[in-house]
Amino acid sequence: MALASAATDSPIQTTSETNDNNLQTFFVLHKASSRKSEKRSTGTGKTRRRIDLSPSSPKKTDKSEAERAEEWDERRYEHLRMEAFELVWSRIDLTIKDVLRGINTNVLNEIHSWVCESFNAIKSFGTLGFAEATRSFPIVAAATCKRLFTGLILTKNMEFVDDLLTFEELGLSLRSHGCHVANLSSMDFSAKNGIGGCLRGFLRQFLTTTLDAADISILASWYREQDNHDSPVVVIIDDMERCCGSVLSDFILMLSEWVLKIPIIILMGVSTTLDAPRNILPSNVLQRLCPSKFILGSPAERMDAVVEAVLVKQCSGFSVGHRAAVFLRNYFLNQDGTLTSFIRALKIACAQHFSMEPLSFILGDLLVEEKQKGEKICLLPEVILKHASQLPSYVRNQMADQTAKSLVHGFSELKRLQKCWSIVVLCLYEAGKCNKIRLLDLLCEALDPDLYISRASNNHVELDKDSGLGMASDRCKRRKYSTFQKGGIISQIVRKVRDLPAVMLYQLLKSWENITVDILEIHEKLKELQSVLRFEDGKLKQNVDDISKRHSSWSPLNIEKDSKAINEKAATLLDCLVRDYLRPMECIPLHEIVCFKNVEKLQLALIGDPRRRIQVDLLEFYKILQCSCCSKSGNVLLPSMHDTSVMYTLAQEHGDLINLHDWFQSFKTVVLQPSTKGKHKSKQSPLSKKRKHKYESENKSEASIQARFCRAVTELQITGLLRMPSRRRPDCVQRVAFGL
Amino acid sequence: MDIDNGVEEEEEEEFGFSRNYFLAKELGGSGKKSACKLSDIDLVDEQELRAAASNIEPKHEKEVVALMNSYRILYPKWVFELRCGFGLLMYGFGSKKALIEDFASTALTEYCVFVINGYLQSINIKQVAISLAEVLWDQLKTKLATTSGNLPKVQQPFSSRSMDDLLAFLNGSQAQDKDCFICVVIHNIDGPGLRDSETQQYLAQIAACSCIRVVASIDHVNAPLLWDKKMVHTQFNWCWYHVPTFAPYRVEGMFFPLILAHGNTTQSAKTAAIVLQSLTPNAQSVFRVLAEYQLAHPDEEGMPINNLYTICRERFLVSSQVTLNSHLTEFKDHELVKTKRHSDGQDCLHIPLMTEALEKLLMEIRQ
Repeated sequence: MALASAATDSPIQTTSETNDNNLQTFFVLHKASSRKSEKRSTGTGKTRRRIDLSPSSPKKTDKSEAERAEEWDERRYEHLRMEAFELVWSRIDLTIKDVLRGINTNVLNEIHSWVCESFNAIKSFGTLGFAEATRSFPIVAAATCKRLFTGLILTKNMEFVDDLLTFEELGLSLRSHGCHVANLSSMDFSAKNGIGGCLRGFLRQFLTTTLDAADISILASWYREQDNHDSPVVVIIDDMERCCGSVLSDFILMLSEWVLKIPIIILMGVSTTLDAPRNILPSNVLQRLCPSKFILGSPAERMDAVVEAVLVKQCSGFSVGHRAAVFLRNYFLNQDGTLTSFIRALKIACAQHFSMEPLSFILGDLLVEEKQKGEKICLLPEVILKHASQLPSYVRNQMADQTAKSLVHGFSELKRLQKCWSIVVLCLYEAGKCNKIRLLDLLCEALDPDLYISRASNNHVELDKDSGLGMASDRCKRRKYSTFQKGGIISQIVRKVRDLPAVMLYQLLKSWENITVDILEIHEKLKELQSVLRFEDGKLKQNVDDISKRHSSWSPLNIEKDSKAINEKAATLLDCLVRDYLRPMECIPLHEIVCFKNVEKLQLALIGDPRRRIQVDLLEFYKILQCSCCSKSGNVLLPSMHDTSVMYTLAQEHGDLINLHDWFQSFKTVVLQPSTKGKHKSKQSPLSKKRKHKYESENKSEASIQARFCRAVTELQITGLLRMPSRRRPDCVQRVAFGL
Repeated sequence: MDIDNGVEEEEEEEFGFSRNYFLAKELGGSGKKSACKLSDIDLVDEQELRAAASNIEPKHEKEVVALMNSYRILYPKWVFELRCGFGLLMYGFGSKKALIEDFASTALTEYCVFVINGYLQSINIKQVAISLAEVLWDQLKTKLATTSGNLPKVQQPFSSRSMDDLLAFLNGSQAQDKDCFICVVIHNIDGPGLRDSETQQYLAQIAACSCIRVVASIDHVNAPLLWDKKMVHTQFNWCWYHVPTFAPYRVEGMFFPLILAHGNTTQSAKTAAIVLQSLTPNAQSVFRVLAEYQLAHPDEEGMPINNLYTICRERFLVSSQVTLNSHLTEFKDHELVKTKRHSDGQDCLHIPLMTEALEKLLMEIRQ
């Protein structure tokens, strides 16, 4: 980080003098520098600017050519990594969207056909004459004609964040079928803005100009002017339960009056039960609705689909290590439970990977040049190759020759192994499906390098040197292995295969055949199994067909025995696949380039914990400041400590109310206590002189102690750890946080 | 396995929390409650207190500077993450204003940086959006000028557009270049002026715009409660950074009353700004005349009413004594102004604020 070290020359001004900007509510700090285009073309703009700006600093002018070149390289590679991130993430993003769309296709089609039916029903109420249609008030009609067709979409999910995208998709899909669509959210139905604000937001989606007066008749005339008369107006409200009931009622009543002029159909997202409308709308409004219900896929389903596409099939080549996967799973289960948060966590992991791993840009190249067989890697400069060959996983493998060719080979090997791994995981998942195994749990186990090692050692397969954790003690391995044997998900699945009924086993083998089609060696094995089965008994096929169609002529006992043998064979194959091919990412050389492992960084960036951390900052400030004066004190408060820390530590001894007088007195005692090291570290005068000085400033120090007390209270108030005295208790402040 | 551990830990934590709470309650109610009054402390004069407060000798100055400098190695990473589309959220004890502004002015020179001081009392979010739109418009103009593209017409000045239009503009696709964004620095996004949910919603909507990246700081331990999941995950898209600085909250604490100062007067310094901002421009100007007089004549007891009336007439601020009196009544009701009988017998008006506070107040209402 040459850049950063260059920047440390001028310390940050902590004591910024009160300038005007501090009192402006907002201001422009600086405009974008115009050298941007230059930087684009040369890639050096920034570094050079730095040097230009401070020619007085001797350090920078002394910079050798080599250093400059290094800096230049650093900028260039950062740029490459940025590009690689954009490429990789856009691919992941696209995949996720596709997967989610795929899950919703059926429901979306269902909704569309319902919309068409409803529209036809509205039209069947009769067409309007010209005079009627152009009048700017609704038509008087029978109550039956005033009903609004309403689709209630059950999201099966308390967290509506996950469904935002679904409703957006729904809007897009209906629009693509020619409907006029408005997407509204509970924000539009707030009590504060009332029906006027709601209507304005609604009209905004159709009319290009902003209106001062919101009036539904404008929409009616707009609709009449449309070329596309033959399509309904669909209003989508994504989280109906959060809307203000009265505003929503008014909205519905109004729309129902106009339904003959503007064929409006409502779609509402409901996260609880079908009772929801009854809870927030009065009965006269409910009468105006003509509801139907649709059901979206469950969050768990979506989660599995996303994990499968992104982390198992590895659409982008980017992957996560075992600990990162475990963290992601726990974060999903314990913290948030939304798919959105999971995807965000994945994005942060991805960004962190590309910002920290210097070689990660190669992943971008790998993606682009899938067909060119790594030609570009051959072109990489010597430095990078050297860097790559120093990766721990590579060194462990002792691939001594550092040529580009061996690296290219390494990458293709990496890809192959990754592919095999993902295929085995998919096979396992397929087998575990009927057992309701969650893919995320399976993934965590499949990524565990320890399990891999123990599997390998147990089967007396030669242990690869690169497996990374070779030095782990044998005992540890054995323990791990036993957990794998007993409770592990993989072993559970293998066991289940043994008990699978014949029909399902047949289907399973079929699906395995599809999954493994890309990797010849695995596919062969499967074919082998299938052929053996066929060979052993021309009955298997017959068996399956028979069982499903008619009673077979075979005695049940016989069938059972045969199928048992088949099950056993399938289980053995699966076991074999697991042993030979389920090689976790972290056990493959060069994995550092594509695999994110730094869980701690991810956790810190993802989960801020201000409540705890700010208190810890105050109570253990010396650990952060690393000053020599306060760190050895133990639990004793020293006058040299940060005032606010002293105050907060003192506050811990009080109850929920802190008497200001007592607090001040104890603060004063701490601050004034004679210390052997000298009270103010800045004063290095002899002791006698200091004492004299102290007497002189007796009066002044009282004021300064009070001022320091005040400031510390203010700072605690800013952090929200204190509440100010109320009128009722003017002498006490209130503690807010208890315990970390 | 891990999950169970996690759950157990959580339970443990929760138990610890409630135990602490009840222990604290017990301590408070166990009769040990001190009856000492604040007034038992030998409080120094407020002026002296304020003087002392502005000259507090900093502790650990060297270490604080070293700590702040140690964060500089993170700058490239922060820029990287901003470019990836994340927002940065800085937390930890100590003022992070200097740190963030240093980051912005050294590492973000390629981007326009717009600063919002959330610690101030009165922030008009609409004004913020208008200025942001203007800044973006400027940026697009210069950009298109260099690439000789043609400008889309602005149909309407930004100041008269609705919030939705402004947001749509900021989110617009005019900038094809992904790397063309305005970096919005929000000091104390949990500050008193931004704390209400409507403002936070708008901030979230602004943060979600394609041309905006946000770097914000929080100080309040409960700040995350301001945001729901939609805001956190899809709009702000925070990357958290724990960057305690232990720097004094100098500017941030400016408007907090000193707890040992005698309540009313200091309180009014804070409230004065709020009250004044709710008054008409004319009333504000009358107040300004009075304040400027007081600043110019610090030794006098106050401004004679006649004097004030004459000046206000000259500046067309009031048309008659009656209107002036109505303004003055309003001021007096809010304790912005006090009347004193001057030694020569006439009534004088003065503002019960320290010179320094008065200057700040004038600055506040000037915007």
